[in-house]
Amino acid sequence: MESSRFSIFARYVLSIVIVALFVFPIAWFALTSIKPISAIFDKDGVVVFDFVPTYENYRVTLFGQQSIDVSENSRSDFGTSGGNSYDGRGSIISSLIVAIGSTILATGIGILAAYGLSRLRFRGSQGMLHWILSQRFLPPIAIIIPMVFIFRDLGLRDTHLGLIIAHTLINVPIAVLLMKSFIDDIPRDIDEAAMIDGATRLQVFWKVIMPMAKGGMAATAVLCFIFSWTEFLLSLFLTSSIRTIPVKITTFVTSTGSEWGYISALGTSAIIPGFIFILLVQNHLVRGLTMGAIKD
Amino acid sequence: MNEAQINQQDRRGGRKLLAFPQWLTSEHPFPWLFPATAMLVVFGIYPVLYSLWLSFFKRNPATRVEKFQPSWNWSKLIEDDRVWDAVVVTLTYTSVALVIQLALGMLIALLLDSDRRGYGVLRALMTLPLVVPPAVTGMMFLLMYDGSFGVISHVLYDLGIISPNAPLLATGSTALMSVIIVDVWQWTPFMVLIMLAGLRALPKDPFEAAAIDGATDIQAFFRLTLPMMSKIIALAVLIRGIDLFRIYDYVKVMTDSGPGTATETLTAYTGTVYFKSADFPYASTVAIFTLLTVLIIANVFIKVFKVRF
Repeated sequence: MESSRFSIFARYVLSIVIVALFVFPIAWFALTSIKPISAIFDKDGVVVFDFVPTYENYRVTLFGQQSIDVSENSRSDFGTSGGNSYDGRGSIISSLIVAIGSTILATGIGILAAYGLSRLRFRGSQGMLHWILSQRFLPPIAIIIPMVFIFRDLGLRDTHLGLIIAHTLINVPIAVLLMKSFIDDIPRDIDEAAMIDGATRLQVFWKVIMPMAKGGMAATAVLCFIFSWTEFLLSLFLTSSIRTIPVKITTFVTSTGSEWGYISALGTSAIIPGFIFILLVQNHLVRGLTMGAIKD
Repeated sequence: MNEAQINQQDRRGGRKLLAFPQWLTSEHPFPWLFPATAMLVVFGIYPVLYSLWLSFFKRNPATRVEKFQPSWNWSKLIEDDRVWDAVVVTLTYTSVALVIQLALGMLIALLLDSDRRGYGVLRALMTLPLVVPPAVTGMMFLLMYDGSFGVISHVLYDLGIISPNAPLLATGSTALMSVIIVDVWQWTPFMVLIMLAGLRALPKDPFEAAAIDGATDIQAFFRLTLPMMSKIIALAVLIRGIDLFRIYDYVKVMTDSGPGTATETLTAYTGTVYFKSADFPYASTVAIFTLLTVLIIANVFIKVFKVRF
């Protein structure tokens, strides 16, 4: 099949076309973000590219400046109190705080549990593993309503800490299973050799396992970050004034019309960190997405 | 305090150290597993039980008083047509999206499984949809589906496939499929990645033997590749299927369950009950019903296909 020059060429063409189809929506979105409003809403020139690129949309969403367009200003007074409601800076900071916080927590909690499950033999460890796995499949909707009440009682509702806890909850099962698969890869002989030399388990964990599992930890952290960064349902239910980017962006759709310029500018900006991170962990991606079930 | 007392105290402290409970040492699993377990119990199990408990209360919408009446919400659920509509929509959504993603994922994986130059870059580009926040994905397609200036609608009008009088997302017959396409765009790469990993792990010998025996590529695919990858495929179907079943983001962002209830999934209906009628006990009932359905389907699947993690 691969022998003839034609089939090699045809396969290249087909592959490029298909990958292009999957990249197209992102590219189109990014293109929209630099279009002036008149070009976005031009129904006769949808696929015609005669517009002057503008940074206007980024100026408003990323730097919080007022829109030059006066008619836009009169419409932008819904939702958040005062100022420019298309200012995405607050949501970027919220997203960063929540994603970084929950990544650190989930990875930390995850690596401890993963070490215990990987190295210590105890009754019920298999059951424990399955229980943690089943938590990964828990539909968030089944916990969200009581969570709203619990968070309200604890004063965690609409706080960064509350959302960090919620996202950590989602990420812990993934972090545990993924880290366990990485620690399982480290030969037990190394632990035992260190313990014969008089190291305690805690020392083995800290001085031997942690350095050796660094790559796995990085991959776990990156995936946790992406899951938190992209999460929508919990953020929507648990917050009202603190908004992460995915929730904030949906407020740009109003009954009077959608601000596609601002939506695409903030949306494109929100995609970029994920892109950079996912390229860093390409090698562990499959393992991460299957929680260690498939090793690459 | 005299010297003797201090000594005694020291000694007592020393004994305490010796008597340090065994289950608090690093040899015991307890300290290692405690943080994760505590987290999952307090914010995972407890809310589920709380939800279940809530579902036994009848809420009076006028007085906002909740009264213990265990069967109220559950009999309401059984008689609620919107729940069963949502079940149908959810199952349709899950199965259609799953079949398309599985087939496309396998085909694209076969296509991109090459060591020639450039395929590495193509494989990397293929993973990009996975990191787009689903709410943003919904926006991306909302823009492209738009009836007057959306690029997809525009191309489909020009091809004469749809009429400008029936916008994709506002028409009952096309709305669900339009949302499924969004899911397919975002999650087919997940299948591609898993299939690629599976293809790469296949042993070479059986394929060489088959080629010598004169088997065609298609025969080799159905007789060798598929059976050898069945475990990985089952795993991918399980993970993806459960995630599909709880679909919310695209529906919420793109159609808000509409038109009518054409795209109302179980999770979306729960959200509607929660936000619009504030009937928390009934919303919890629907949520617990969703959880039970997932549990049953997933466990049957795991038993039938012997999925192992």
